Amino acid sequence: MENKNIDDILALSKELRWQIGDDFHDHLAEGIYADAAEIVGDAITKKNKKNKFSIDSKIDRIVTSKTWGFPIMFLVLAVILWLTITGANYPSSLLAKILLNDFHPLLKNLATTINTPWWLSGFLIDGVYLSVAWVISVMLPPMAIFFPLFTLLEDFGYLPRVAFNLDSLFKKSGAHGKQALTMSMGFGCNAAGVIATRIIDSPRERLIAIITNNFSLCNGRWPTQILIATIFIGATVPAAFSGIASLVAVIAIALLGIFFMFFSSWALSKTILKGEVSTFNLELPPYRPPRFWKTIYTSLIDRTLIVLWRAIIFAAPAGAVIWLISNIYIGNESVAAWIINSLDGFGFLLGLNGVILLAFIVAIPANEIIIPTILMLTVLVTGISVGNGAGVMFELDSANATGEILRAGGWTLLTAVNIMLFSLLHNPCSTTIYTIYKETKSLKWTTVATVLPVIMGLIVTFLVAQIWRIVF
Amino acid sequence: MNTYDPLNALLIFIALSILIYFLFRPAKGWFWIIKNNYRTNEKMVIEDILKLLFHNENSGKILNTNNLTQILNFNNSLIIKSIEKMTANNFILLDGEQLKLKPLGREYALRIIRMHRLWEKFLAEKTGYDKSEWHERAEQKEHELNTEETNLLASKLGNPLFDPHGDPIPSKTGKMAIINGVALSTLPINTVGEIIHIEDEPDIIYKQILAENIHIGSHIRVTENNNTRVSFFSEGEEFKLAPIVAGNLTISILKKDIINEGNIARLSSLKKTEKAIIIGISKESRGENRRRLLDLGFVKGATVSIDLLNPLGEPNAYLIKGTAIALRNNQASKILIKKIN
Repeated sequence: MENKNIDDILALSKELRWQIGDDFHDHLAEGIYADAAEIVGDAITKKNKKNKFSIDSKIDRIVTSKTWGFPIMFLVLAVILWLTITGANYPSSLLAKILLNDFHPLLKNLATTINTPWWLSGFLIDGVYLSVAWVISVMLPPMAIFFPLFTLLEDFGYLPRVAFNLDSLFKKSGAHGKQALTMSMGFGCNAAGVIATRIIDSPRERLIAIITNNFSLCNGRWPTQILIATIFIGATVPAAFSGIASLVAVIAIALLGIFFMFFSSWALSKTILKGEVSTFNLELPPYRPPRFWKTIYTSLIDRTLIVLWRAIIFAAPAGAVIWLISNIYIGNESVAAWIINSLDGFGFLLGLNGVILLAFIVAIPANEIIIPTILMLTVLVTGISVGNGAGVMFELDSANATGEILRAGGWTLLTAVNIMLFSLLHNPCSTTIYTIYKETKSLKWTTVATVLPVIMGLIVTFLVAQIWRIVF
Repeated sequence: MNTYDPLNALLIFIALSILIYFLFRPAKGWFWIIKNNYRTNEKMVIEDILKLLFHNENSGKILNTNNLTQILNFNNSLIIKSIEKMTANNFILLDGEQLKLKPLGREYALRIIRMHRLWEKFLAEKTGYDKSEWHERAEQKEHELNTEETNLLASKLGNPLFDPHGDPIPSKTGKMAIINGVALSTLPINTVGEIIHIEDEPDIIYKQILAENIHIGSHIRVTENNNTRVSFFSEGEEFKLAPIVAGNLTISILKKDIINEGNIARLSSLKKTEKAIIIGISKESRGENRRRLLDLGFVKGATVSIDLLNPLGEPNAYLIKGTAIALRNNQASKILIKKIN
């Protein structure tokens, strides 16, 4: 009897479902929201409503105005980058002096006095320790300056306005305005930029921001660009203009990166990502005075140290590999020399050489050690007597001396241009790759983010090399 | 390296790029064509024929074999073979040249239509594919899902009754909600109604409707109807269509002027100094997007005004419930408001 009743009710409910129609759920949801809003309106009285908005809207009117909005943004970004790059110089060289020039020989001496076998001290001290020390000294100071500055702006409430101003540019390439922020964050560190994409709550746009973040020239790559530009690009013009020329070259590379970011955002949103859900909204929170110390503390702990720790974890094995391939011999040649020889042909096709390609492969964990690795490998294959021996990375104090070694390694202006391009357009460092995986939880998107820039880099350097050789 | 010549290398590269382009370019790439041809099998042909017969019989037309070979893009021998098989399986009745559906065939056709419309609903609610792609993708998918998967999909979507174009979705048992509507092109001036269905075929006309930014669920008032033009007023804007395009919009006539549609406008039309009350969110805003807007407080009865105009035109920031939220114009156009003074 009871069962029959239930069946009847079920049948009735099915019948009614057909009658109430499809938008029933929407109406229900809307009704609930509307009722809740009404109750809130009755129960809460707001005071001083006008005060809060007057200052905010004044600031808003300036930072989003047609005349001032864009100049202010560029100025702020330029100041932050300038502070980071110049401000990091001093602590960086201090760290390098302590960790590389003082502590490294000390460790080596210690190892000799306690009779450590050469291969063990080489592997641990010249390999692992040196690369970790290098990454710390190059990476830590700029990050410790860049991230707190950025977080302060974020805390103040300015960054959402930047996203607001720039959104329609990003919309054209299928991306989210907030990608402007994650892109800028990428100028500091791509791994941190990828983490920062959490602010984009639309799945498709977030993936675009993650995959294209690598096109922001990061802190690990700025020094490479500046050094190569100073040595090779600066030398093509009269000495008086060499500083300007190399600066323009580096900025051009960074702008090219932004171009590739827009281009690949557009291409991704039109092809493999078009099925991902896309929602847009951007909250413009009220301004508030930044909580200075708290911000400094959290940005140091959350952003700088976590990223640095990941970088160290990845740099250690890289150092070990670099030392090993330079010191393990097959026949008469070290493993490194074998690999370099076999990569030389392909490298030539790209306007690069085997040394550079090998350096980019072993330095996947950290872009910071590309130049030291290239120098060490160049010395290894050319047999010039500088540096500290096989598998020991080094850098020289003067750009001229560095240039001499590189020219001895067969470098031309084309090599320099292409290494600058390839340094912009290659796979993200392993810290970033790992972070991308952590953020997307997807092997597919991690692979896309890793492989896409390499393919672009290969194509661009190849085209430049061929056209260069035809023209000159 | 003796054979290396930069010009040759460049030419080889260009040749390879062109080859890859022709192989993989979207839709027309050779690779996709070959893949699709390989996939075309008897099952697909049979299902497409059944669907075609079903739609035509519903509008009172009986097709013959010649019609089929003209309409469908398959090779003729495949169609003939399929017709033989369908007759043998009791799906259709071959009455001279004419093809008529038997009950089994109707049932099968309804199942395919159910899959098609459910998949369109799925694409609309759960993915980011553009409207213009839904139909093509569903055309492919309807042949791939089996009944069990379809039922699972239906229950995950909450057993919807209508697809995003407003077509009824047949239930598990083949039951379908009935649409009580007439084509826009047949309505006299001053009729008030609601757009309940937008036909997505043929593609060219559908694209025109999309370009006009006409939303399903919108209330309209016909202002002009003659041989050359059908105009109507809706959500604060006037739309002008060719009669053939208007014929693809189905309108359900509203008995009374329930809402004074002269006052309804889209949020995107709000001016800097104006204030408005939200009336609702258009049916065109679906899935995640719709829920997000509701979450942010764009609900019926809320007051909204413009907080900040964007230096580049969009997105503009709207002040809702004391918070400034920036929305792009295509989103704001799906929020309906009534302006107040």
